[in-house]
Amino acid sequence: MSLPDPIKEGLARGWKVLGGAHGALPPSITCDVAIIGSGAGAGITAELLTKAGLKVVIIEEGQLKSSTDFKQREPEAYASLYQEAAGRQTKDKGITILQGRSVGGTTTVNWTSSFRTPPDTLKYWQEKFGLKDYTPEALAPYFQQAEERLNIGPWQTSPNENNELLRRGAAKLGIKAEVIPRNVKGCYNLGSCGMGCPVNAKQSMLVTTIPFALDGGATLLVETRAEKFEISNGRVQGLSCIAVKPNAAPVNTALPATQIIAKHYVLAGGSINSPALLLRSGAPDPHKQLGTRTFLHPVAITTAIMAKTVSAWDGAPQSIYSDHYLNTQPIDGPMGFKLEVAPLHPVFFGANLPGFGQKQAELFRQYPNANVMLALMRDGFHDQAVGGKVELRGNGSPLLDYPLTDYVLEGARRGMLAMAEIQFEAGAKTVYPGHEMGTGTSTWADTKKAIEALPMKPLLTKIGSAHVMGGCGLAGDAQRGVTRTDGVHWQLENLSIHDGSLFPTSIGANPQLSIYGSVNRLAQGLAKRLTGKEVTLA
Amino acid sequence: MSTYGPPHLQRRTLLKLGIASAVVLAVAGGAVALMQPGLKNGKLTEESRLVFSRAGQTILAGTLPVDAGPNQIAINALLDRIDTFISGTPEHVQAELSQLLGLLGTAAGRRGVIGLASSWHDATVPEMTTAFQGMRESSVSLRIQAYHALHDIVSASYFSGEESWAVLGYPGPRAV
Repeated sequence: MSLPDPIKEGLARGWKVLGGAHGALPPSITCDVAIIGSGAGAGITAELLTKAGLKVVIIEEGQLKSSTDFKQREPEAYASLYQEAAGRQTKDKGITILQGRSVGGTTTVNWTSSFRTPPDTLKYWQEKFGLKDYTPEALAPYFQQAEERLNIGPWQTSPNENNELLRRGAAKLGIKAEVIPRNVKGCYNLGSCGMGCPVNAKQSMLVTTIPFALDGGATLLVETRAEKFEISNGRVQGLSCIAVKPNAAPVNTALPATQIIAKHYVLAGGSINSPALLLRSGAPDPHKQLGTRTFLHPVAITTAIMAKTVSAWDGAPQSIYSDHYLNTQPIDGPMGFKLEVAPLHPVFFGANLPGFGQKQAELFRQYPNANVMLALMRDGFHDQAVGGKVELRGNGSPLLDYPLTDYVLEGARRGMLAMAEIQFEAGAKTVYPGHEMGTGTSTWADTKKAIEALPMKPLLTKIGSAHVMGGCGLAGDAQRGVTRTDGVHWQLENLSIHDGSLFPTSIGANPQLSIYGSVNRLAQGLAKRLTGKEVTLA
Repeated sequence: MSTYGPPHLQRRTLLKLGIASAVVLAVAGGAVALMQPGLKNGKLTEESRLVFSRAGQTILAGTLPVDAGPNQIAINALLDRIDTFISGTPEHVQAELSQLLGLLGTAAGRRGVIGLASSWHDATVPEMTTAFQGMRESSVSLRIQAYHALHDIVSASYFSGEESWAVLGYPGPRAV
């Protein structure tokens, strides 16, 4: 029996999709609202604006892939569903960034962890950025609607051993670890979320809001890059778009661009890409804020070889977390970190294990017993953690300059110590810090000594990221940010920004639900201003 | 063609990585002027295939089959998958990789960046292991970046092949 594919069915029903194999782009398109991107912020916005009766065009640089394409194979998934084939890196190559790039954006490939924005983060925004209406109470109804729409709730099934060992080790140390809420419906517990859900259980934008918008008459342009806004008189006058190949190269530089003329534009290409489009367009930036304060939750890792089989590829990728090291110290003190685990498939495991040759070969053979723990560091709350800055390469593509400071790297050391101790408590035989000079040690005492002695330098310390935030920050005044609290650009009255680039710091939690909740409120406000209509999700 | 910045600042992004890298390039001498691109039409050149084949034998020592015949088959499959991997990367990644491989293909680049005196053809795996370990722990950005590029591309491409699953004990994805 073959499973349903809502995208193929929608296309058969006559959805308006152009670009790539779906048909050539026309010379120009006129619409009410052009939405750039199709991820978390774009999807929520598209559903609400379509519901309000607006004529919407969604522009996505990546491909339209769906459940029948999702074969649970890493090489195909990384090449077709991730920015820069899952190899996006910061300028000095010190951090590798996993960020989605297909219809649905990162929601198509994330591991489904769904947290509301932590109250401490919102409090900091109120105090430092003048975001007076960003309180847990004010946002609660918008989070609740998103949770209902996307079936978000704590994972009810038993965690797999990969997650359970985090809970077990933490409990032995008196550290609280809790169950992660996930956006799934009828989950098969396959563990393949990062390669696109083959059974449409993950309630990503790909299978929820984007189909809603397309059923409501929206147009979707795929394999189409929003290249440049035409800006004059404090307004966006038009948007040039070009057809791109799967690797983002232009299909034909000789072809004229497609011009999109809209009454309002919503930029939701995600952090890094959204500021880059504004930079390419020469958008006004009187206070030099654009592209700055781009955050990554830099992630430190430790790899444990456990006494028992873990099978870290199998089952819901993330179901247990601990905020102990976020909640037990001041938000602007030594860097706090959230603890989670990573699902391990062959390519991810092979590329992330430090070392090479005979020693690494021995580790490969212990793959079924491996656990990789993650310390996601909360950046943006300290003057030594101001994040990175988006720049443009010569061809206009974005590049994030994110220098790793001593403050951040000491956070990585503390994260590795915390994780190694938990892994030993949970039954690790050997623990390897994510560091080029790290060697496996088999007792907590030896590991502690080894990690304390490591030189914490960029490139030597293995740092990754799967969360990109900021760069078009919200602020209560134009001096401190790019975007007003209602989501409109401070200097461009018909441009809204509705994605993770809004956040003035990192979130301190996996950001998808923070995007859904904040954008839900912003998009409802935009729909009201444009049409006078009240619309809600769900 | 540069649309968004002065052309002289946009060239050779890999090769302008700070003072330490400049030192390596000084050691490498005139290699930069002599080097040929490491990719041709988006694929590895013969010289680049040699670099990756030897890097693969070093990085995957203990993992690849020991016997010469099966080892060569595995290396050939690895090189083909590296070509596939490269074809999916953006233009700027291909340009940087082409420069890196071009540099490593010169004797001076091989000595300066890898720390390898013998030619790619003649170097033994123990010699290369010593050189790679030196790169891995180097304080020179370009050397450690080159190590990461070779390591990550080799590892990701090798484990992209289903024949690697047996080494790991990975049963493959569950059927749905």
